Parts: sequence; structure tokens; C-alpha cells
Amino acid sequence: MATSLVETGAAGHGAEPRGKRTEAGEATYLIAIAEALWEEMERDERVYLLGEDIGAYGGAFKVTEGFIERFGPERVMDTPIAEETIVGMAVGSAMEGFRPVAEFQYADFMTSGFDEIVTAAARYHYRSGVPLPIVLRAPSGGGVRASSFHSTNPEPWFAHAPGLKVICPAFPADAKGLLKSAVRDDNPCVFLEHKWIYRRIKEVMPDDPDLLVPIGSAKVQREGNDVSIITVGAMVHHALEAAENLSQKGVSVEVVDLRTIHPLDGETVLRSVEKTSRAFVLYESHRFLGVGAEVAAMIAEEGFAHLDAPVVRLAPPNVPVPFSPPLEDAYLPQVADIEAAVEKLSAW
Amino acid sequence: MATDVSEKQAEADWRVGLSDDQLKDILYKLKLCRYFDERIEALYRQGRLPGAIYSGRGQEGTHVGVAYPLGGDDSLFVTHRDLSAQFTKGLDLNRVMAQFWGRIDGYTRGRDGNSHVGDWNGKRTWTPVSHLPLAYPVACGAALAYKRRGEARVALAICGEGATSNGRWHESLNVSAVHRLPVVWVVNNNQWAYSTPNPLEFAVPTVAERAAAYGFPGVRVDGADVLEVYRVSLNAVERARSGEGPTLIESVSLRWRGHAGHDPAKYVPKETLDEYMQHKDPVKRFEELLLTHQVVDAEAVKGIQERIESEFDRGYEFAQASPFPVPSDVTKGLWVEDGYWQSEPSREGGTG
Repeated sequence: MATSLVETGAAGHGAEPRGKRTEAGEATYLIAIAEALWEEMERDERVYLLGEDIGAYGGAFKVTEGFIERFGPERVMDTPIAEETIVGMAVGSAMEGFRPVAEFQYADFMTSGFDEIVTAAARYHYRSGVPLPIVLRAPSGGGVRASSFHSTNPEPWFAHAPGLKVICPAFPADAKGLLKSAVRDDNPCVFLEHKWIYRRIKEVMPDDPDLLVPIGSAKVQREGNDVSIITVGAMVHHALEAAENLSQKGVSVEVVDLRTIHPLDGETVLRSVEKTSRAFVLYESHRFLGVGAEVAAMIAEEGFAHLDAPVVRLAPPNVPVPFSPPLEDAYLPQVADIEAAVEKLSAW
Repeated sequence: MATDVSEKQAEADWRVGLSDDQLKDILYKLKLCRYFDERIEALYRQGRLPGAIYSGRGQEGTHVGVAYPLGGDDSLFVTHRDLSAQFTKGLDLNRVMAQFWGRIDGYTRGRDGNSHVGDWNGKRTWTPVSHLPLAYPVACGAALAYKRRGEARVALAICGEGATSNGRWHESLNVSAVHRLPVVWVVNNNQWAYSTPNPLEFAVPTVAERAAAYGFPGVRVDGADVLEVYRVSLNAVERARSGEGPTLIESVSLRWRGHAGHDPAKYVPKETLDEYMQHKDPVKRFEELLLTHQVVDAEAVKGIQERIESEFDRGYEFAQASPFPVPSDVTKGLWVEDGYWQSEPSREGGTG
């Protein structure tokens, strides 16, 4: 019984995601991710997608809109609501030569597949020597009034399970290049797409389908001399806005975008701290034992001689992500908070 | 003439189409698994074996019976109680022994221990994870790969009846039915999930009847009868291979020993244990069957046993002579690109 699929040619369907760029050639972060998936599926027939509502519906955020018309229901596989089994199927098919990319509707729901991710997938290669080339994609992060179960930043959970590469891009071109690298990587990769960025940030995309961004490499997104902000995900954009505002006040801020949490590019971080002598660690996972806790500890251990002031952290308090706008704004670091903290640090 | 035909039929029926050599091979495997389990426990109790043991004794009929129909390309997803099924699939005794002693020649190069062993690149068996039934969803993935490529291959997964209480057991059965995957689901119902009996694990009379809820057949079989288990498994494997989808097999036996080496299993009633050990011993029963049908004689059985004992002794020596992994390799092998698993490991770890 063939399922009736949306007609090819209907608005937004059956078309290559590149066709959704602006006239100036810009792609949103979301379109950039779709481009990466599309191009990797065109390049390598072992690559396939699985997840909930990713076929005719095109995914909860419409990343895979149009894919089923091009690649068919076997390579754009709708599954029952069974996260453990989605991850397990990715693992088993990877063991048999496929390169699956599984989509979670929200990163929050990765907990429903947690055991397969951290107990089975993460540890398997170390224990057996069998590579597991799988990518687990999930929309993460807050700031969109989605409350406790649709705003999680789970990167510390997965970075703490050895064997998983954890990737958190902030820009469209990085998202595309890193996702393509993840699909071509032989290790399990957790690819966290910040949903606040999805449709807010766009940029001109390179056209080379083999342009990869290496996993495990941070990037200086803005050069500066007085303070280094080391950050990741949506906070990169807040940091850049704060840096621009602070430049009006004569404070020169360097913004280091980690891009990958694990493996962590300590070298780029330390080089920046050596230059500015002041380290400000900004992150969206909980302050307590969050990503920045490791970064701050690393700077303290390995970069102490460079520092003119104590390492400062800014991150959400250790509570669930709240819904009410004033509460969520109080929870998430705001641009004004960043500016105030950086000014204080620069005056130290 | 009619009598001759029915006699021939009866002769063909009892052996389920297996040749004398295959029947002898099954006897060898049953006895090997039994002997290995007994000797390993003895070494453990003597303090000569590090780590833990998870005995599969009394369940050899299930393990050998379900795994025997699998071909080399078919995959086997097991728990740490199913080493006998892995031996049936052909794991090397020497390397398994090296694994038990944490040596570099073990299948996991000392990165895991005891029956947490597998040989994916060789015999197509999963290196088990303690959390059960984590291999069930993975078996779905392997089966999906066979289906996608149109290969006549099958994934067979085993877990205990306790693991059927877990959500992912139900997820996997459901997904395998929805996508009509070439998979065989085996539940080794040994009646005790650690110390928890069947009535505290599920409220239906049998595990097998749960298959109806997912839309495929469920079969309950006596785990003391290895040939009956083999027949049921063969049918399920052929059904999966021909694209007809999954089957659930519940094979009933008794766990003769505790959950692990430390557990005296005093919760198992003595009468039950006696009944199973005396009247439902899958190894003894099969040996008697082959003697009755004159496939083997007492001399041949003795020869099989001697071969097994000498193989075990050689395996033990092999394990003791195999070096430990070198401590400086502890971080290697996490990422594929570090090359650890693609190269020969250091053998400088000593055997002390």
C-alpha cells in the first residue's frame, strides 16, 4: 500500500535546499543543515535519515522538507516514537555498513534514547574496535519560550560519555561544514542545532560540496585585545553583539566560538587567553558542571601564567528552563549581562 | 511398505534433517558449553579468575538450539549470559579465555571482561552491554540493513525474560513488525530475573503470546530439548530470510546457578532445581538421545569429552601466556582515527 506523498513541485517540496537560499546566495542555519544532508545523501548512498515525522511532513522544524520526494521513504525513514530503537537501528545499520543520520525532534527527547547513546554507542568502539559512523541530530537550546522540555542544552551529558563527538555550531557555514564532517566521520557524533539560530542567522554559503569544517576546531569569530569570551552556540551571537557594543566604550573583545565541545580545542582557547590575559567563559548549559566549567578549569590549569584576572563564568542557574518570559530572560545570559560582566573583568 | 515409510519418516523427524556429523557437532557444543561453565566457575571460586561470571548452565539447549541454524553472515545479538550461543556461532575458545583473564589476545583486548565478549568482524556476534535488552534495538538496525540491500541475511537477538519488562523490548518488537524486519527474537526464559520470578515480571501466562500484540507469531519451546529449539529457530530464521518478518521464540529452562558468581540463588526452590537437573538437563538428555539412536556410542562420547577437556586446558594455558595490555594504551581506541584497533597492540604488558 503506497503512501500518498506530497507532490513534487509543490511549494517547498521536492526541491534541493540550495533553491531556498536568498537571491544574494544566503542560507539560514536551517537551510545550511538541509543542504549538508542533501549533498551527503547525493554523494554517498550509504547515508540515510531516520526519525519521527521526517518523511512527508519534513520534520518538526522542516529540515528534511522535500527529501522524501528525492530520496524515497527507505532513505528518509519515518519511525514509530521509539527513541531507544531509533538510536539502536542507527547503531545496527552502521555496523552493517550504512551511515545513518538520526533526527530527534528536540534534544530534550534524547533522554528517551539515552541508554543506547551513552551505554551502547559511545563505548562500543573502545570495547570492540567496531566503528559506528552515526550522527544524532537534535535541536537544542532556549530563548524561544519553549519551556522545560523543549529548551535543553544536553551537551555536557554527551561530552561526559567518552566516545561521542559533540558538535554545537553557531553559524550556517559552520553548521553545514561540520555536519558534512560528522556524516563522513567514523565515530558517533551528537550534532546539536540551536533552534534559536535556525531561522535568525543567515550568511552567504560557499558552493563547494566538499568544503568541510574540521570537528574539534574552535574559531575566533571576532578579534580583540582586552578580554576573550569563550563561548558556543547561540551565546556566540550574544557575545558578538556585546562585543560590538563594548567596542563603542573602548573595550576590545575577542570572541572564541568553540564549535565542538568534544574533542575540545584547548589550543585555540589558550592562544586567545595568552593574547588578552582575561578569560570570560559564557555558556548556555547549566553553570554547575556545564561546558564552561571544563573550559574554565582548563584555562586555570594550563593558562594560569597568561592571566591578569580570575577566570569569570556566566551561565544559567542550576534550575530547569522556565517558561514565563521574564523568568526565561533571567535564566539565560542576556547581552546586557555579558557587557556588564566583561566591563568588570576588563577593569580588574 | 507403509510401515517402512513411516519408520523412515520417524527417523527423519527426530533428527530434524540433521546429519550424524551435525548431531555430533551439537553434542560437542552442548558439552563444551557445560564444561566451560563448570570449570570457569571452579576457577572463580578458587580465586584464580578476576572479575565476575554469569553462568548459562542449564540453558545450553536454548543457546545451542537457537544459534545453530544461523549462517556465518547472519548476526547474533546476545547478553552476557549467552556465551554458549556465541560458542555455537564459532568464537575461539583461546581468545575467549584470554578475555576472561583481561589479556591482550581477548576479543576486547582487555577493555571488557568475562562474557562481555563478541566478534563482529569474524563470527558476526555483538559484544554485549549489561543494560538489557540494549541489543534488541541494535538487531533491528542490522536487520534493516539486510532488508535495505535485499540480502538473505537474518539477525537473531537473545535476552532473558526479565528484560521483556523493559520498554525497549516492546519498542523493538513493534518496530520490527512495522518494518517487517528479518529478525528472530529469542527470550531465554530461565524463570529467574536475578531473584525475581516470572509472576513478578509479567501478568500473562507466557512471554510467547505477547507476540500477537505486535502482529507476528510467538512460539514457546522446551529449552531442555535442543532439537525442538533448533527446529523452532530454523523455522523462524527461514521465515525471516524469506521476507516474512519476525518471530518471537520463548525457550523455557532453569538457571541452575545464581545471577552471577556471588549469588547462591537460595530463592530457587530446591525441588525445582532438582527436577531440572535430574530430568530436564539439555546436555544429558541429548547425549542419551544420540546413544539411543546409535549416532554415538559410549566410546565416542568419551572421546568428545576428552577433546573438550584438552581444549579447555590449552585455552587456559593460552590465556595465562597472553600478555596484559600495557597501561599506557588506556586512552587508545576511543576514536577510530587513532588507529589502535587497526594495528597490532603492544605485547609488552607482561603476564605477571
